[in-house]
Amino acid sequence: MSRVAFHVDLDAFFASVEQLDNPRLCGQPVVVGAAPGRRGVVSTCSYEARAYGIHSAMPIAEAYRRCPEAVFLPVRMSRYAEMSERVMAIFSEFSPELCQVSIDEAFLDMSGTERLFGPPAEAAAALKAAVRARTGLGISVGVATNRYVAKIASGLKKPDGLVVVEPGREAEFMRALPLSKLWGAGGKTQERFAELGIRSVADLADMSELSLASLFGRAGGRFLYEASHGRDPGIFRAEAESRSMSAERTFERDVLSRETLESLLLELADELCYRLWKEGYVSRCVFIKLRFEDFTTITRRLSRDECYRCASEVFHDACGLLAASWDGRPAVRLLGLGFGGLESALNARQGELFAHGDERKRRAEEAVFEIARRGRGRLTRARLVRGGAHGAERSDGADGSEEGRWRRG
Amino acid sequence: MKFTCEKNAFAREISFAQEVIASKNALSIMSNVLLEAEEGTLVLKATDIKVSFETRIPVETAEPGAITVFCDKLSGILASIPEGDIEVTEDNGKVVVKPTFKKVRFQIKTIASEKFPELPAAAEDIFFSIPAKILKDMIEQVVFAVSEDETRYFMNGVYFERADDGLVMVATDGRRLAYIHKQINTELPRFKSVIIPPKVLSLVMKRAPDEGLIAIAVTEKNIFFRFGSYLVSSVLIEGQFPNYQKVIPEHQQSSIMVKRSELIEALKRVSIFIDQKSNRAFFNLSGGTLLLSSDESELGTAREELPCRYDGPDVRLALNHKYIEEPLKAIQEESVLIEFTEPSRAITLSPDPKGDFFHIVMPMQAD
Repeated sequence: MSRVAFHVDLDAFFASVEQLDNPRLCGQPVVVGAAPGRRGVVSTCSYEARAYGIHSAMPIAEAYRRCPEAVFLPVRMSRYAEMSERVMAIFSEFSPELCQVSIDEAFLDMSGTERLFGPPAEAAAALKAAVRARTGLGISVGVATNRYVAKIASGLKKPDGLVVVEPGREAEFMRALPLSKLWGAGGKTQERFAELGIRSVADLADMSELSLASLFGRAGGRFLYEASHGRDPGIFRAEAESRSMSAERTFERDVLSRETLESLLLELADELCYRLWKEGYVSRCVFIKLRFEDFTTITRRLSRDECYRCASEVFHDACGLLAASWDGRPAVRLLGLGFGGLESALNARQGELFAHGDERKRRAEEAVFEIARRGRGRLTRARLVRGGAHGAERSDGADGSEEGRWRRG
Repeated sequence: MKFTCEKNAFAREISFAQEVIASKNALSIMSNVLLEAEEGTLVLKATDIKVSFETRIPVETAEPGAITVFCDKLSGILASIPEGDIEVTEDNGKVVVKPTFKKVRFQIKTIASEKFPELPAAAEDIFFSIPAKILKDMIEQVVFAVSEDETRYFMNGVYFERADDGLVMVATDGRRLAYIHKQINTELPRFKSVIIPPKVLSLVMKRAPDEGLIAIAVTEKNIFFRFGSYLVSSVLIEGQFPNYQKVIPEHQQSSIMVKRSELIEALKRVSIFIDQKSNRAFFNLSGGTLLLSSDESELGTAREELPCRYDGPDVRLALNHKYIEEPLKAIQEESVLIEFTEPSRAITLSPDPKGDFFHIVMPMQAD
């Protein structure tokens, strides 16, 4: 019996929650993200707003220019997290094999559930109805024999979509897609396609794995070869090979002060170390992301042998990355920090020969984390007390964990 | 400039130069080898800025001169032509290489010799000589333990220091450490302890003969090795090497004696199932038996028993198998000793009977 994978995506999730909480917003263009007139980007927008060409990650000023009459709202992450939990709970009634990918996206392994829920198309319809009835939210479902194809299928008929790719038709399904729908092939790869005269997924599928490898590198070639034939290239394993965790902020005004950037790095290091610790991960790889005034964006990463033990170490290395990639110009619009290659903290730990001078710092941090975890408030560093990182806005709602800092009105 | 020489002799030195250079960027002077034809001799120099190399070979010089040549292509040419004499001519910045017995002619890109950087030099009187065999034994015993983690640059090389009665080399990556102390019977000058990048050491290992002497000089920023007609040098790593003496256990409570080749073979078999991320192998000791095993994974598990000499209580050690295999390969003796005090503290690995070197390995969490 073939496998049945569902990919489920909540439609315009943040905006839909806002419309649900305030029915007057229904049918109106709603943009959740930064405040117009300030810095930052669109986090999510309703389908009504999408009609104006607004989309996620678009600078908020551009969204405002396209549709000044839209309702602009701040990100209320805790409310979305609550709704997300309710939706995920419904998903888990349909399959115990639930893999949540993000706040609004999950894979369900529905293999062998036919006797319970009927054929996949019926099960998907029942799932959609259950979510709609019990939360008021719309979802789009993609069904296929593997996660990769299911992921692409769910994106094709949004909102309220259901696309079923029948077993054996995966390659055919992929061939009919435009290259832009090939998930995992981003801007750079798309540019390379254009340079090489590759115009469709079918063109890709007609190439040998060897020639793809010579054009896109071994891993890239393999990925494109598998993906274009409708096979899972292996990016959606239950335990992703390389998970990462990051946070970033867009500044009110472009920043030229190293001190301001470093203060933000310290704040982000604290925040990320807390999340890492809470979720039971360790990491040996940190990266920073810089977006400059002209929107060029760079990331720089650093790997080491030993797992990071405390935020001060992360801060130190992040400052080193900043110093190596930015000499004070151009002005910085956005700064991000992240961990790559997350590993479970339960993995076999290698002992260290040389004692660490920062063992006390690490223990102090753990105590602070413990206080935060118990909901007894948040201790913070003296350096971050006064206004923290100087007017930086959380720009990516999906990544942050608190509410936006601006209020309605 | 014009000289004639035997192809094989020339090719050997050019391939050494290419090993030093490593870069294949045709635009950089650092990708070029400097050729200086003097009366009866050709001087060759190459550098990657950090590691430098200089040698001379006998040639028949028709016209003295100097030029730098793109080394990658020169080495390709020499590899392709048969044995025999070749003629190298430089005229107006163009170098032509041709065998004297074949109608083939190569012309290669050059850069003026004045652009070639000045290589570091050491005063003759600070060189001291030790047997090549001793230096190569020392390097072999420690160099694999060097850290590749660039955030710990001060561990990216071999620590080299003068002891009262000889020389010491230490290398560590923070989890394991290799140490060797060789007595030297001749007088050694005082020099400050230094950290040597592994590249120059591997060149010495590969190129220096086992017989005879190697001359060494240590200056503020560089180290020099001279053997045969070669002078190789390297910039030193600046920084503070960790206080290694502190982590060497003075004495251990228990010891296991096991045949080196049996342990190597058993580890090789068990490692088929060892998790490649953690590299963790278990050493279970009970009476006269060492039971090696891998973690149990969904893929399977491996166990192998081998006899050993151990009379302590039953115990289980968790160790990165690579940290055991690498020193085992560098050790020549038939038997080895693994000494420990408790499963969470550093173990000592040494030959049996003990010699002038040992390896310290920090264990992994056992559960």
